[in-house]
Amino acid sequence: MAKEKEWEWEWEIDPEYHWFKWELGAISRYKDLLFRLVRRDLLANYQQTVLGPFWILVQPVLTTLLYWIIFGRIVKVSTNGVPPLPFYLSGIICWNFFSDVLSGTMYTFITNAAIFSKVWFPRLLVPLSGILAHSLRLAIQLGLFILLYGYFYLRGQLPAPGIGWFMLPFVLLLTGLFGLGVGLILSVATAKYRDLDYSLQFILRLWMFASPVFYPAAIVPAGLVLWFSLNPLTPLIETFRALCFGPGVIPVVYSWIAVGTVLITLIVGIALFKRHETSLTDIV
Amino acid sequence: MIKVEGLSKYYRLGTQGAGRFREDVRHWWRGRPGPSSNGMPTTEAHIWALRDISFTIGEGEVVGFIGKNGAGKSTLLKIISRITRPTEGRIRGRGRIASLLEVGTGFHAELTGRENIFLNGHILGMTRQEIQSQFDEIVDFSGVETFLDTPVKRYSSGMYVRLAFAVAAHLMPEILIVDEVLAVGDAEFQQKCLRKMKDISGNKGRTVLFVSHNLQALSNLCQRVLILEKGRLADSGSPAAMIARYLREDCVQYLRQAYDDPSRAPGNEHIKIKRVELIPSYEGKEELIDVRTALRLELEFWYDPPGSTDLDSDRDLIVGIHLFTLGGECIFDVASPRTSLRKGLVGGSCLIPAHFLNDGSYYISIVFVSNTTRRLFYFESCLSFEVADHRENTAWYGKWMGYVRPDFKVQLENHNSFTHV
Repeated sequence: MAKEKEWEWEWEIDPEYHWFKWELGAISRYKDLLFRLVRRDLLANYQQTVLGPFWILVQPVLTTLLYWIIFGRIVKVSTNGVPPLPFYLSGIICWNFFSDVLSGTMYTFITNAAIFSKVWFPRLLVPLSGILAHSLRLAIQLGLFILLYGYFYLRGQLPAPGIGWFMLPFVLLLTGLFGLGVGLILSVATAKYRDLDYSLQFILRLWMFASPVFYPAAIVPAGLVLWFSLNPLTPLIETFRALCFGPGVIPVVYSWIAVGTVLITLIVGIALFKRHETSLTDIV
Repeated sequence: MIKVEGLSKYYRLGTQGAGRFREDVRHWWRGRPGPSSNGMPTTEAHIWALRDISFTIGEGEVVGFIGKNGAGKSTLLKIISRITRPTEGRIRGRGRIASLLEVGTGFHAELTGRENIFLNGHILGMTRQEIQSQFDEIVDFSGVETFLDTPVKRYSSGMYVRLAFAVAAHLMPEILIVDEVLAVGDAEFQQKCLRKMKDISGNKGRTVLFVSHNLQALSNLCQRVLILEKGRLADSGSPAAMIARYLREDCVQYLRQAYDDPSRAPGNEHIKIKRVELIPSYEGKEELIDVRTALRLELEFWYDPPGSTDLDSDRDLIVGIHLFTLGGECIFDVASPRTSLRKGLVGGSCLIPAHFLNDGSYYISIVFVSNTTRRLFYFESCLSFEVADHRENTAWYGKWMGYVRPDFKVQLENHNSFTHV
């Protein structure tokens, strides 16, 4: 024992969990894997389908047309004076980004169980690659939105794009991060409790109806506005629309509450995810 | 350099995961912690997969782990690879680790071979630069260059494994952890992998932790072997001594291996082992193999002849049986005549007569050769047995010399009468 010299250990594995060791350095070391996972996601999803990458556009276009027929023509829900097509498309783009990131993240441990049980890499890379892949889809859908916006602008039905457009990426970033945060929390839950799956799908569908996707926040009864606005998606979608189409009705304070909610959700999500990422391997 | 101190791992047994939400909520509602909290419930079925393991592995050392299934080898490698966390103890180390607990982790069936080389390489911890600089070597090693832009779902299982191992073989970590991955692929490719492993450990000075049932590979590659027994470290020492001890204590009579499901059976696309068995015809009342016991080797395997032609030479098969002492010396190598066989289940047998082997420990490997030259599969160390001594009419109990102990008659008689003058 005496001749054993003091080594400078580079790493240590012990039973304790360190709440705030997030290994962000490891993520940057594995950045090549991050981009490869994004690539895998996109290639594997679109190489096989008949429509290929066009599917990214087909889904929001068809949904927009459907909403236009049902909510615009039949049920006749107000769009607050905005032409219905860009109105619905803006809601659908925001909601899809949120719900795609969320549902992509919430099964992280289940869908990757085979890999997670065989090799170590920063597990957070998988949800991060998901949000990046969905951001690319989002960018393509935004292109469509801009074309549509341009058409209605030329017809004089929409105002010229203002300085507010530069804020759009931040709004969308918050939307995606919120999906990521909620998804991370749920990923721990779905791995632990398999019986949650159906209820979560159901809740996600209800959540869409509770968010101003195919109706404006302006038609929400005054008594419900407080509860309605605590859903961070409400100020986010409404801000997106206000930046494009003109002033909305959601007070600024709710936007700040939304920002706070998103950040807290994200931090809680990452902490929970990191807390359970190895112990869940023993269960799944 | 790795230092493992007092490592233990505890697993709960029984149903886990599914449907525990209600249960946990109920526990919480009643105000006491559910069974999933960190306290270790004594009532539940549990197992210590590892118990108080300590050892140190120096830089550049190549260490093998052996032990029966369930002895904790894989759990140990999983903890060192950071896949699962220990319950007690700690591991400290220096150097970048890459672990190879499976070949082809993360391969995506829809993607091309080229894409998968990068994907798999990154998952194993290689950077883009590292992969690119070795890309040609990887492709060359795998031998699938013509299919590089084909989705791997169209690959044969052999090609898939070769590509996967090729990526892994070009990992450049300071510490490499390998779990029983050499047991795949055909014999020729296995040899190639072994050479590569030897190159990695020997010439490049990497630290390697290696689990295998392939005792030949262990004794070839390792400088030191550790034996695990029921989660504890039973012994450590030179490969020869440890392998001898392992065979002596853990599988003295490994007389039978049988597999009902071809997908789980050892082998490859041409040969899948259904059963290998040694059936002794015991001499005395006890079930003890001694020098008087004849042993009948029986084997059954699924055969899928290589080559698509109906030429007899392609369907010809020779099965050879190699018998080794524990020390690794080959006592005999007998083979069947070349036999033309159709696809399907094939049976065979061989009799090792009584009064042939001397007392000692032996193991058997079986080789399958196609068309007299091409080795299809080598089922190494598949059976092992011990021959006990048996003597009659002698009061001498020293070790009987020799590997064989035939019952040749040695006769003595008087030829002349001598008289003392």
